[in-house]
Amino acid sequence: MNIKLDEPIFEVENLVIDLYAANVSVRAVDGCSFSVYPGETLAIVGESGSGKTVMTLGPLGLLPEGVSVDMKGIARSGDQNLIGQSEKSLAKLRGGNYGVVFQDPISALNPMKRIGPQLASQVFRLTGASKEKSKEIALDLLRRTGIPDPVDRYTRYPHEMSGGMLQRAMIALALAGRPRILIADEPTTALDATVQAQILELLKEIQRDENIAIVLITHDIGVVAAVADRIVILYAGRVAETGTVTEVLINPVHPYTKGLLASVPDLRAKQSELLTGIPGTPPDQSQLKPGCRFSDRCSNAIETCWQIRPTLKEIESSDGVHLVACPVEIANIKGKGNA
Amino acid sequence: MDKSTFNKTFNAAAKWPWLVLTPVLVFIAIAIFSPWITPYDPVVQDYSVTLEGPSAAHWLGTDYLGRDMLSRLISGVRVSLFAMSIVLIAALFIGVIIGSFAGYVGGKIELVLISIIDIVLSLPSLIFALAIIGVIGPGYWSMIMALTMAWWANYARMSRAVVISELHQPYIEAARVMGSGHLHIFFRHILPHVLSLVIVYASADAGALVLAIATLSFLGLGVEPPTPEWGQMLVDGMSYLEEYPRLVILPGIALTLVVVSFNLLGEQFALQKVPRALRGYKLKRKKRQRQLEEDIILDGKVDQ
Amino acid sequence: MSKLILRRIILAIGLIIVASALTFSIIAAAPGNVAALIAERKAGPSASAELVQQIAEELGLNDPLPMRYGRWFSDAIRGDLGDSLRTGKSIDQEFSERIPITAILLGGGGIIAFVMSLGIGLLGAVSNGRTVDHLLRAFALIGASTPNFFVAALLVIVFSVSLGWLPAFGGGSFVSWIMPCVTIALFPGSVLSRVVRVNLQEIMSRPFATTGFAKGYSRSSVLIYEALPNIAVPYLTTFGAQFTLMIIGSIVVETVFALNGIGAFFIEAIRFRDFISMQATLLLFIVFFVFVNLFVDIVCLFIDPRIRRETHG
Repeated sequence: MNIKLDEPIFEVENLVIDLYAANVSVRAVDGCSFSVYPGETLAIVGESGSGKTVMTLGPLGLLPEGVSVDMKGIARSGDQNLIGQSEKSLAKLRGGNYGVVFQDPISALNPMKRIGPQLASQVFRLTGASKEKSKEIALDLLRRTGIPDPVDRYTRYPHEMSGGMLQRAMIALALAGRPRILIADEPTTALDATVQAQILELLKEIQRDENIAIVLITHDIGVVAAVADRIVILYAGRVAETGTVTEVLINPVHPYTKGLLASVPDLRAKQSELLTGIPGTPPDQSQLKPGCRFSDRCSNAIETCWQIRPTLKEIESSDGVHLVACPVEIANIKGKGNA
Repeated sequence: MDKSTFNKTFNAAAKWPWLVLTPVLVFIAIAIFSPWITPYDPVVQDYSVTLEGPSAAHWLGTDYLGRDMLSRLISGVRVSLFAMSIVLIAALFIGVIIGSFAGYVGGKIELVLISIIDIVLSLPSLIFALAIIGVIGPGYWSMIMALTMAWWANYARMSRAVVISELHQPYIEAARVMGSGHLHIFFRHILPHVLSLVIVYASADAGALVLAIATLSFLGLGVEPPTPEWGQMLVDGMSYLEEYPRLVILPGIALTLVVVSFNLLGEQFALQKVPRALRGYKLKRKKRQRQLEEDIILDGKVDQ
Repeated sequence: MSKLILRRIILAIGLIIVASALTFSIIAAAPGNVAALIAERKAGPSASAELVQQIAEELGLNDPLPMRYGRWFSDAIRGDLGDSLRTGKSIDQEFSERIPITAILLGGGGIIAFVMSLGIGLLGAVSNGRTVDHLLRAFALIGASTPNFFVAALLVIVFSVSLGWLPAFGGGSFVSWIMPCVTIALFPGSVLSRVVRVNLQEIMSRPFATTGFAKGYSRSSVLIYEALPNIAVPYLTTFGAQFTLMIIGSIVVETVFALNGIGAFFIEAIRFRDFISMQATLLLFIVFFVFVNLFVDIVCLFIDPRIRRETHG
């Protein structure tokens, strides 16, 4: 693992994001912190609605139209705090430092424009190269992302290409500004299983070559195990557990993490071992209640779980820092250790 | 966030959609009670007070025949809305019958009927109405007839679409299996659906009809003097445009206000209430957008 | 692709034939037939029944309807639309004098409606949800609700009577066309601005708009470079429909501004029950409607790559 413990290039501290529309407000992100270092892959894992996309893309100003947002906290990139920046300066930052790859490449590319020119105009805008040079760079990017016959694909429209090819083009687009961080929002969810592995391999390859950081937003533990270095488990807008992938996946502590891992199908398991899900549904985030948000679904919950919000505490770990927000489980571990 | 009071008004309108009904209801009330609330008889001429400006006796002044402008404007609501209602009801009646018949029987009869409907719709309604007036001559009832003949096809096409989509519903199959006759199925199960949808459309269409009536009257092919109708009052006033613009502006404003009220209602319907099967493409998109917004807010599901 | 276009053209011609046959038969069913009207014109109100009969025979009015339609339509294709019952002039000549006037009106109005709708729609989308947006929406609602004869009257009151800047009658110099064209453009411009605004808003919620933001575009850049090309098809379709509706506007505007165009000709034909002119004008209108729609269809085929490519091979 090539984790570098120098300066993080993107660091979020105590981030709170409230979303408003019409008559409802939702606290989508409730006091989250995480950081990303150059050359590492950070996986952000959670169910849909857990706030993983809002938490990652929100500070960059990439939230859907029609929703008003209220953000508090710090999102540090270099020496700048992204929170509270004007839309204009955020826009400037987004194209250059950050590349974003979205879930469904077919709808994420403009259907009225050819692939090549979409890419070349981005190169032209960000690098200031001449038009001809931009086209050359664009073709190079297509080639680099493993698109066969890039000269032909250059003139294609999105609807004329397969999902896998489009996701490669999307990655090429994200790389056009030579970003230091690549945010991949469920990059393989919409793709065929065989293509998924190729795309993940491509991301890893790019990371090795360019030493860029990847923030991988996903709900798929299999993907995390394959490519990520560190993991943040998000539940209902709060970080439940975080640590290196090897540590968290092998020694999960938070009941939610355990449940999540238990619900992953294991091909080697015997048929008699039933797949276990987590009972209940995630809480309604428009109603703020005290205590741990997982308590209603947790089998270990004690009375204080509904009263006191748990904080992230470091526990003993065999590999890197391991933080857990569950006092009950931490007490259990300590109890075992003492006994 | 810019939260001026102006915005608040708009947000209030978004919160209570029925608020947009208020102006329409006010105009309907004026139409009903106009004989009792006009200060003067709108058609009685008084040569002692021709072309007078606003005064205590005549709040909005008088026209070139000494008729009270306010009374004429108020009566104009009744004339417009009455003519509009007749056309709307007649066109609805014909359209729903022909359209649902076409949809229900299907086959060659449907093909013939839908062709006729499509040909009528290939011409703008008002052009078609003008052609009919050209044949049967101008006048109040000619106008009513011409507009009805131009307007029914819209509702026929809509009714047919609703009938066809309803025929494939399981409950219709069930009724058939239970031995209900055609007429019973049609009147009991299908017609209520058709009516509820087509009437919503028709009310959104009322503004366009009021405009059409005023335009025909303005062209001298609709409501005739001395009946107070805004389009016709306006064309009367055109001769006095330079000295007495009031004679043109007042009926114009009254007309615009009524059309705005109905169009406001229509816009509301288009945004929220209209079933998507009919508007297809456009409405489906709108609904998807609303769905998206609800998802984001209620579940915090920005991931999708 | 070319097959698709050919099919549309054949359909369009079919629609012209069927629609003109419908209007022909409606007019043929009119009480008080053409022969009587011509006889009245020739010999005064006391025209004899024999004269009426003779004229009817000459014009072939006693033949069955399909035959009469066939004869009329084939004459019309060859450019012979008959003589106006009102003026006695050949309708071809009337048309050649009047079509340019209506064409300027529709052309000018179309350009104004285009610029106005894109301007208002884009400005509304840029100032999304702010006061300007609401004001523009209110303006569009009022614009789509004000009868064009009232718009014309208001413009005359303000710019001719009060300010004296523009002439109250059209058809002369360039400035005399300003008010007629603005009048005719207000309604379609307002309707189209809503189309622009609503479609832009919808497209801004699509994933590729978010991609635009991620590329580092500002909101207005995303609107212009990413969203705008995507509203072309719905916009053009509505534009075509609104452009044909401007014929109705031209009838009113030509009446108010004393322009001798096709709209005025049609209204005079209706007032004088000049059936021959009515038929000819309706045919002209039908051809216009069908061709505008055909043109829009074909342009949309070329604009939307999804349709274009699918029909290629």
